[in-house]
Amino acid sequence: MSRETENALLLLLGLATAIITITGVYTRYVKPSLLPWLAAVAVLLIVLALSAIVRDLRRGRDDKTGSDEHTGHAHRRGIGWLIAVPVLLLAFVVPPALGAQAAAPIAITLSPNELRQPFPSLPAGRAPEVSLKEVMKRVALDSAGTLNSRLITIVGFTLKADSGTDLARITIFCCAADAQLGRLHLRGPAAAAAELPDNTWVRVEGTIAPPADAASPAIPTMTVSTLTPVDAPANTYAY
Amino acid sequence: MQVLAAGVVVAAAFAGALRAFVAGHADLSTAGTVFCGVFVQALPFLGLGVVVSGLIAVFVSPERLARWLPKRTGAAILAAGISGAALPGCECGSVPVARRLFGDGVAGAAALTFMLAAPAVNPVVLVATAVAFPGQPAMVAARGIASLLTALIMGAVWSRWGQLDWITRRLPAAHNTDASKWTVFAEAARHDFLQAASYLVLGAAAAAAMHVLVPPVVFTHLAGHLVLGVVTMALLAVVLALCSEADAFVASSLTMLPLVPRLVFLVVGPAVDVKLFAMQTGMFGRAFATRFAPATFVVATLVATAVGLVLVAGGR
Repeated sequence: MSRETENALLLLLGLATAIITITGVYTRYVKPSLLPWLAAVAVLLIVLALSAIVRDLRRGRDDKTGSDEHTGHAHRRGIGWLIAVPVLLLAFVVPPALGAQAAAPIAITLSPNELRQPFPSLPAGRAPEVSLKEVMKRVALDSAGTLNSRLITIVGFTLKADSGTDLARITIFCCAADAQLGRLHLRGPAAAAAELPDNTWVRVEGTIAPPADAASPAIPTMTVSTLTPVDAPANTYAY
Repeated sequence: MQVLAAGVVVAAAFAGALRAFVAGHADLSTAGTVFCGVFVQALPFLGLGVVVSGLIAVFVSPERLARWLPKRTGAAILAAGISGAALPGCECGSVPVARRLFGDGVAGAAALTFMLAAPAVNPVVLVATAVAFPGQPAMVAARGIASLLTALIMGAVWSRWGQLDWITRRLPAAHNTDASKWTVFAEAARHDFLQAASYLVLGAAAAAAMHVLVPPVVFTHLAGHLVLGVVTMALLAVVLALCSEADAFVASSLTMLPLVPRLVFLVVGPAVDVKLFAMQTGMFGRAFATRFAPATFVVATLVATAVGLVLVAGGR
């Protein structure tokens, strides 16, 4: 492929990166905290591409000093076209955020008592909002019993399980490739009454039931008192 | 160039149809999202890597590097391994940097040691490991030691058996006497980015395909006893191609496994995976990658198992 095409692809990739950064679409693929880095790399790519284009124009088309680096690798000319793949995906196709079926389910292990630490108590209020990840962390590791018989609010999406409805949330640590699905069983009359299809976003109030068997990995259970459908958040992942 | 322009017009015209098609196929959207995840995550680190390699092209000539490095091979490799801690980032950035540093003799072994050590022993990765394995500092120590040992051993192996004619990819001749510093920097960074990013696309696509075709559940069912667990986790590290800053969280969630196979996962992943293999092919050449990557795989697996059995045996 020619040097001009390489420069154009580099510029397009920089622009595609800038677009997903500005529109916020990048949160479908990576953590929000990557924002400044993505902005920086978009600028870097655009500057590298533009400066190469300007340099080539100044040199003039007949002067071949700019393309002498191609002499050694005629055999791999095609490979540069691969950069068109992320440009196509990021700028035009824009794959959606991961669904529940795509994330690896996690089971938590209840830690033995000597590894548990007291967690700070939950925020005051009738039913403070707690993330699903925080709930799972506290079930696994908290020695202070901060969740015991405490009414809390969790937001997540519904997911049919073998024995009823689960509340689920996808957590990503770094990028979409390491997504994991955290889940809670929803129990109680309010949960059974809501015959919700999969992937309905809900706000659930209830209490976390103490784990039945302290030794085995488990999915915690929540006894639901109220359940309200809500709009899906703009950014569906938790971190 | 005309092909590209036509392609952009066609892609813009059919963007809606393409989007609908991908959205209609669950596996395709998952693969697309995982691909974008791996690629977008790697992009800033690759950017950082090519900036460093551009600076190396301007300021560090091979002769100067040879002067800085200790003369004895062993000492040079050790220095390279420890200085790996200074480049905080994922593994994608360290491949182009290592290619720039690569030279004859001692410098070659040192560059490869640096390439393997940098993504695994830097403070960001070790802190992430400590956060992912609360209350198990032995896991952090074991990861650091096993990764550093793997890098040092591979550096020594290269200086003993490596052959320069496996390196078929040449860097463009730098240091035109009339070129300004900015031109040298921009040309080197541009060249290394294009080279590495093309192969990053290949690797990210391979990782996305593996995600869809081989769900991790398959591996965790296989992982009953030590040898089987170690081998499956080593292979899983290669096919998943996770970022070295994230793999600790994934390993910590695989609670059905003992700690030793999970340590193997953490040591093999940053040293060799499908994405790195593709990038090494692009930056160094196929003859190099087909020898270096499998050797790294074996060394990393054995070293991690040995270190794990000493430091975290029996832990869960």
